[in-house]
Amino acid sequence: MSAVTFTVNGRIVTLDADGADTLLTVLRDRLGLTGTKEGCAEGECGACTVLVDGVPVDSCILNVHAVAGSDVLTIEGLATSDGRLSPIQQAFVDNFSVQCGFCTPGFLMTLTALIADTPTPEEVTIRSALSGNLCRCTGYSTIVDAVMAATGQTERS
Amino acid sequence: MTVSVGRSVVRQDADPKVRGQAVFGVDFELSGSLHAVLVRSPIASGRIRSVETSSAAAVPGVRLVATAADAPRILSGLALADQPLFAGDVVRYEGEPIAAVVADTVTIARAAAARVVVDIEPLPVVASLSAAVAPGAPLVHADWSTYRPSPGLPDWPRHDNVVGEMRFDSGGVDDVFATADIVIEDVYTADRQYQAYLEPKSATAVYEAGRYTIHAAHQYHFNLRDRTAAALGILPSRVRVIGHHMGGGFGAKLDVGLEPYAALLARLAGAPVKMVNDRVEDLLSCNSRENAIIRVRSGVTRNGRILAREFLVDMDAGAYAGDTVFLTSIPLFVAEGPYSVDRTRVVARALYTNTAPTGAFRGVSGAYLYFALERHTDNLANALGMDRRDFRIRNAIDAGHTMLNGQVLEDSDLLRSAFDAIDEVAPWETLGRGPNRGVGIAATVWLTNPMPGAVTLRLEPDGSLGVVTGAAEIGTGAVALGVRQVAAEELGIDPDLVVLTMPDTDAHAYDGGAQGSRTTHIVGRAVQHAAAGLRERIFGQAAKLLDSGADELEITDGRVRMVSDPQRSVTLGQIAGAAMFDGGPIISSGSYATPAPKHDPDAATGLLFSTFPTPTYHVHVAEVEVDPVTGSVTVLRYLVAQEVGRAINPAGVMGQIQGGVTQGLGYALWETLQIGDDGRYRQRSLEAYKLPIALDVPRVEAILLEHPADAGPYGAKGVAEPPIVPVAAAIANAVADATGGSIVRLPITPDDVLNALESSKE
Repeated sequence: MSAVTFTVNGRIVTLDADGADTLLTVLRDRLGLTGTKEGCAEGECGACTVLVDGVPVDSCILNVHAVAGSDVLTIEGLATSDGRLSPIQQAFVDNFSVQCGFCTPGFLMTLTALIADTPTPEEVTIRSALSGNLCRCTGYSTIVDAVMAATGQTERS
Repeated sequence: MTVSVGRSVVRQDADPKVRGQAVFGVDFELSGSLHAVLVRSPIASGRIRSVETSSAAAVPGVRLVATAADAPRILSGLALADQPLFAGDVVRYEGEPIAAVVADTVTIARAAAARVVVDIEPLPVVASLSAAVAPGAPLVHADWSTYRPSPGLPDWPRHDNVVGEMRFDSGGVDDVFATADIVIEDVYTADRQYQAYLEPKSATAVYEAGRYTIHAAHQYHFNLRDRTAAALGILPSRVRVIGHHMGGGFGAKLDVGLEPYAALLARLAGAPVKMVNDRVEDLLSCNSRENAIIRVRSGVTRNGRILAREFLVDMDAGAYAGDTVFLTSIPLFVAEGPYSVDRTRVVARALYTNTAPTGAFRGVSGAYLYFALERHTDNLANALGMDRRDFRIRNAIDAGHTMLNGQVLEDSDLLRSAFDAIDEVAPWETLGRGPNRGVGIAATVWLTNPMPGAVTLRLEPDGSLGVVTGAAEIGTGAVALGVRQVAAEELGIDPDLVVLTMPDTDAHAYDGGAQGSRTTHIVGRAVQHAAAGLRERIFGQAAKLLDSGADELEITDGRVRMVSDPQRSVTLGQIAGAAMFDGGPIISSGSYATPAPKHDPDAATGLLFSTFPTPTYHVHVAEVEVDPVTGSVTVLRYLVAQEVGRAINPAGVMGQIQGGVTQGLGYALWETLQIGDDGRYRQRSLEAYKLPIALDVPRVEAILLEHPADAGPYGAKGVAEPPIVPVAAAIANAVADATGGSIVRLPITPDDVLNALESSKE
């Protein structure tokens, strides 16, 4: 056990963690941030995606000590402090991009990073960015629709 | 004009889901919960010599270790009572539970589970369908003859490793084969497909005052209640199941999973127990879509009439009968397909093997039965020198077609409109042109599950409408969109004023589960029945408030007004408030189950379900390009014409089609659980099990054929299951067309493509 300090959704966190503690288990079990999901624990499905200093990572295979001093953003930190959804969150609601919703937090984190990096991504860029996120329900099209809408490339449906 | 039905309103549960606030099964935790993990068999077949638990029990933080000795000595099962909770004497598949460790944390439980020493003497492994029925094959269940069907089911023909057998014979089939112009026989195989829902199976249970409460993420809460009770040897009323958001199921969460273990362990530990599968054990133990062998033989005339067909199917049930024994009925409804065949023989068997028990996956056996049937249909057309689409349309069933069970399909001419609808968007002769390109077509008839459902509607003084139902929202929107929009329509209110409940078997009437596209259709009908009673009370109350006759009133936009004087009106909320002390709260309940269509239940032997209710009609067309170097397949276009009756929420239906087709593409091209000679899966993680990603799949072009029938709320039939059924067939036919070779197995691998290209050159 040793102490680690990092920021989660703007809040500074210091806690003791051992070598086996992943960022995901710390978020879910220690900090109560269960919006980030564990789908496979092997870095394949992307349900656990969070942003570390703006970069999407699989939190299930990242030791929590690796984020010491970093800024971690989770699904719980996407909406504004007064509860307004971010543009990509709102676009998911409006474009039927959510079915069971279990993969949704991971997709939203990956896409938040994509849009920050590429404000008007083409469809193939969106699909490439999503290579590490599995969705079993939607078949992905409505998720692409949401990105196009959130980035002002189509009318919101 | 409708206020709700036919509009693509958004779902209310999308908001908590995009915020990360929705509580799924794996997120739910009772305070003071302990955590349990299962110790599973590492081999597929063996005799248990000993289970040594003392060193695991000695690990600090471990509360108890349970084995078969701690569980009731009971066999139970969905159809056949053949399965113990824990293996006691023999293990029959890799992953079969042998023991469970309950500890303060998951980490401790896992570490301790690794210290349970299981000594198993290996026994011969029945690893394949052919091995199961080979002369002198080892019996997966030596005591099969002592097993009894689950309560309520009559027994059916079964023997040795044959756990289910359905036989139909119209007679005269062999005579036709002896004399027909052309007789063609094909053999097809299909591998297993893992449902691969993103949320692994989980359960949390607590035992209090002689009752078990189970918190579940499940498709079928009442079955979960009944099956848990049967596994524990108690009455269903001793079990309460409370539903939470679920991260997909696709059939795998219709039967019990971890729940009976969590319940038993909670009682033994005297504390709440939570269990969550890790992904590897979830994959290895999942009731996947079964592997199968399908033999199809047809005799046809030179001018293309199908005189006779033989359809022989072997399905792999795995180590226990599970759901798969029921699925032997499906070939009866697929053997002819949507085509006219004069004489037919169908034999379908479910076989025990030393592999994980199989079960329901969206489209069940239809996904491979139609693959075989439609590949064979292509071969018939090609042998006759006829265009594949023309051959299908020529033989397509017309209105009033009688199925092999004697059931008449009154509206089966709808199939022809599906062929036409696709041709208008993408003319057949324009597709699949160019080197290494091909086009495939497949047509299907599919059913809407008839199981019962119920609802209670509550009109509240704030003008909202409570829709109280045990129906499960699996993610499709069947409740969140379908049931909600039907309820809103019935009361003429904004769908946002509808408040939905989560399933609770103590609070709600029986619901047949999120399966077979039934929820919007069945529960929607129940809503309509309930709404009739609700409106009666609303009008009665409003008549008092407006000093009018109840028959002079109408409901519109959240108000009841006089038809003759629309200015005289009162809000639904005011009516509910006034009723509170004048008759009491305004509620009304309704129930529905699809009546069995007229048919002959004895048409076949071993027929565990004998009808194909509320059928829908489908045509899919795929255009593909194969890479002659790598053997990979690119899907260029995918078109669907789906008869839906009525789309309650068109965007929601389109989402089911895109998602269902995507799962079908995975089945056709990538996904497989191969079984080694040792009975173990070769694909053992999501890294090895290849699921479709965003780059793999095209945007499906779908046409919704609306044909509001008298059945269904506003004509709505089942929509979510059918989109997967024809996909492997359409893709395989397209790949065969592109390569000029033969495609006989699923999934279609790059090697299969290269071999097909090679064979076509010869």
